Amino acid sequence: MFLPSLLRPAVLAGFAAVCLPLGASAQDDPADEKTTSLGKQYESIVNVECSALRVDYRTPWNAATPSGGTGTAFLIGPNLFLTNAHVISDASRIVLKKVGDSTPHRARVKFVAHDCDLALLELDPPAPAFLKAVPLSISTEIPKLDTTVKVVGYPIGGERISVTRGVVSRVDYQEFSHSGVDQHLAIQIDAAINPGNSGGPVLQGTKVVGVAFQGYSGDVAQNTGYMIPTPVIRRFLKDVEDGSYDHYGELAIQHYPLLNPAQRKALQLPDNDRGVMLTAVDSTGTCGGILKVGDVLLELDGYPVDSTGSIDIDGEQTEMAEVVERKFVGDSLKLKVWRDRQEQEFEVKLKVFPAYLMQAHQYEKQPEYLVHAGLVFQPLDHELMTAFNLTSLRTRYYYEYYAQDEIYKDLPEVVVLTSILPDAINTWVRDYAGQVVESINGVKIKSLKDAAAALAKPPEGSHVVIQFAGEGRPVALEKGLIAPAHERILRKYGVASDRYLAP
Amino acid sequence: MKFRLLSAALLLLLALPSQGTAAPSPETSILRVNITSQGFNFALPWQKQRPSTRRGLGALLPGNRVLVTAELAQDANYIELEQAASGKRITARVEAVDYEINLATIVPDEDAGSFFQGMEPLELDVALKPKAALEVWQFESNGTPVSSSVEFNRVDLGPYFLEDQFFLIFQANGAVQYRSGTFTLPVIHQGKLAGMLVRYNSRDQVSDILPATMVDRFLKDVATPPYEGLPSFGVRMSPTLDPQLRSFLQLDAANGGVLVTDVTPGFSAAVAGVEQGDVILEMNGHKIDARGSYEDPDYGLLGSGHLARGKAQAGDIMKLVLVRHGQRRELEVPLLRKQAQDYLVDPYVFDRQPRYVILGGVLFQELTLPFLQLAGKEWRDRAAFRLVYAQANQDEYLKAGRKKLVFISGVLPAPCTLGYERLAGLIVNQVNGKEITDLASLAEAIKAPRDGIHRIDVVDGPRTIYLDEAQAKQDNAEFLPSRYRITAMENLK
Repeated sequence: MFLPSLLRPAVLAGFAAVCLPLGASAQDDPADEKTTSLGKQYESIVNVECSALRVDYRTPWNAATPSGGTGTAFLIGPNLFLTNAHVISDASRIVLKKVGDSTPHRARVKFVAHDCDLALLELDPPAPAFLKAVPLSISTEIPKLDTTVKVVGYPIGGERISVTRGVVSRVDYQEFSHSGVDQHLAIQIDAAINPGNSGGPVLQGTKVVGVAFQGYSGDVAQNTGYMIPTPVIRRFLKDVEDGSYDHYGELAIQHYPLLNPAQRKALQLPDNDRGVMLTAVDSTGTCGGILKVGDVLLELDGYPVDSTGSIDIDGEQTEMAEVVERKFVGDSLKLKVWRDRQEQEFEVKLKVFPAYLMQAHQYEKQPEYLVHAGLVFQPLDHELMTAFNLTSLRTRYYYEYYAQDEIYKDLPEVVVLTSILPDAINTWVRDYAGQVVESINGVKIKSLKDAAAALAKPPEGSHVVIQFAGEGRPVALEKGLIAPAHERILRKYGVASDRYLAP
Repeated sequence: MKFRLLSAALLLLLALPSQGTAAPSPETSILRVNITSQGFNFALPWQKQRPSTRRGLGALLPGNRVLVTAELAQDANYIELEQAASGKRITARVEAVDYEINLATIVPDEDAGSFFQGMEPLELDVALKPKAALEVWQFESNGTPVSSSVEFNRVDLGPYFLEDQFFLIFQANGAVQYRSGTFTLPVIHQGKLAGMLVRYNSRDQVSDILPATMVDRFLKDVATPPYEGLPSFGVRMSPTLDPQLRSFLQLDAANGGVLVTDVTPGFSAAVAGVEQGDVILEMNGHKIDARGSYEDPDYGLLGSGHLARGKAQAGDIMKLVLVRHGQRRELEVPLLRKQAQDYLVDPYVFDRQPRYVILGGVLFQELTLPFLQLAGKEWRDRAAFRLVYAQANQDEYLKAGRKKLVFISGVLPAPCTLGYERLAGLIVNQVNGKEITDLASLAEAIKAPRDGIHRIDVVDGPRTIYLDEAQAKQDNAEFLPSRYRITAMENLK
């Protein structure tokens, strides 16, 4: 399975490897390009240079490493630029530059939505001359298949603004690579889009119909770029109207189609191609305690659900998730289900479902950690999993089934012994790196704070005893040896602070 | 015809002088063994895989038996014994095979006639000591004997054939050139069989030899039916080198001992009352050091696994001295034999068809390691995670009362399975309201659908699968046999 990658020229020097020759569409109409490249309509499209700080989860006590990249943003209102979240994530400094004006202007993030890869920037301080361009307006429509679109931005291959052209190839749900776990509506286009195009507008006429954001590299699929369509953009803009971004709400259910006649017969459902069977209802999610596994979802907010989970919105067949996509956290949703051979109606209030973020990329987050006698403990998440390449089957189980098996109910945080700073006190502990901590001195560990508290308390016996999930051999550390070793290790390995626990 | 007669006469002339007098040589004491194997297809268990033929070498033993490794003899369908020089062949069959100890004996199918005339069976050298000069016997493709010299220099425990099973290995140094079509090679010491070469590392020129002592115990076991095989101790152990762990476990600094970290339910140690957290100090009077090794009178320092398995016989009593909660105690452990099918997940399946049940196109199987290994060498990363996790945590399922892990391995598109085509790797909990503990219980449960519907409850995916009873019956009778050439809708043997 190949997932599309973000168009992220993260480090300018590092992108030669993915630098693809521009597609033929860039040369389709050289005359047009000549007349428009300095035209007024591109004045509002700016180059974003982002200096970012990337934290190393393997040395979470160290300062982050500077890195950076460039992308595109465009003016959509007074001192308001729209771009991709991935262009400005983990930013330490953002500057905007414009066609024909090389003065860099400082900007800051006003709102960021990592779940739909969008962000709003503002100049700080505002520069009236820079902001005098006419803002681009965002279309209310989803462009039709096979209609022409234009991508404008600052991709690799040169310094100045670039325009490419193509058609709308497909409208479908796609995984958004920036978070790695979210799916939203996305539009596939065949205009060449390349690293640096990210955050740039996709135009139809003078209106914005999307934001270019991800694509496949040429060795996977040809001429396959994706843009974030206007319903997702408009939803983001509406969400932040109240001054904060609330994330998408989730029904937090899973379903299975009802295509087999025996399913309908067993459930005594009429043979009308309606409904999907619920196969999971997360008990802390929107539908927890209301819907049950085995219920058949017949209607979602008045839209009849067909037996594959599709609904019909304005004559377009689309996934039923689209109903939820258009709502905001706190909004109500009406559900009609088939249970015990009759229709029942429920109303739920849309909630966010944080457990699914276990497998999401993390941004703007200072990693939590705890060092004790050279043993480094960190809460499990996607960044930890990849930074340490954790392969223990049990650790993988906690990671992959965290939401599905509702592990989060018992373990709000899964604490992992990620590494050991070698010292005489822990020389026999190294084999246990990568294991999940179950208990410390008999106390069950449900978060990194639990671990910190358990280790701060003197043990009853002569040893601090750490038990790992599924491991028969405990780690025992002699009480008297710990304090001097702890100091020694912090000093020797240059660990300025033995912990960071988020407030 | 003349030519054939001539060559037969020639052979006779060559063979005669060696009979009963000369020392054994490759020509007189080893044979080519050509084996056509055909295992079952674990994805489509009603059919066999494509047959494949391998050539190996076997050592002639008294009684016209030919010793080979079990690896060579796996899933044997058709066997020929061949005299390398003459090319003379007779058909043969497997007499006894043990895949754990990796040995098999092969005997002629019928009366061998004069096939073995002039040949010299090998005796076993069970008293081999390090530094001995060994010969590895092979043939060139034209039948010319080849002997490579290696030096036996180290004893260790290592795998023979199956993963994660460790037995006595003799390591020898020296170049061995692989000749065409040779699979297992007899190793000779002063005219006697010293063992079978099971692995050769050409870069380091190290040979791993399955020693004659293991051959000896296998042959003695075969000679006195019923075949007992190797016992299964059923513990996992961890070293106690860590001084802080030792003080925590209240072990004195001088003595060794290994910590029992896991006890498999139903196996020897668990049945006799060994517990997780026990520290084993002695096994059958041998002191166990903190690494888990003991001083073997013949071979020096060796892993204690040899005492409980390689050196033991099912039915033996293992005398343990252990420390539990700081108290020293003694325990007698009767050693039990566990067959592959006694595990929740069979660690190997050879010479038999995998068990399965097909209902309307839904294919139920009992999980086996060979099934998981269909995903390739990286099966732990590539096979369905739930199944991989279950294989690694079998105790949890055994404790929950399962005997075997029944799962849906796949779904054959059929009228009955509309909408279910993509289901695979789903562990089955219940069928028609009955708990499923093995395939036999599933075969029983599918006899009792309710209201014309089979209800199958699984761990993931759709959670409940409904199948129409009449459609399933019809597809089992017509569609599946004709489209997929399935001759039997179940194999429970």
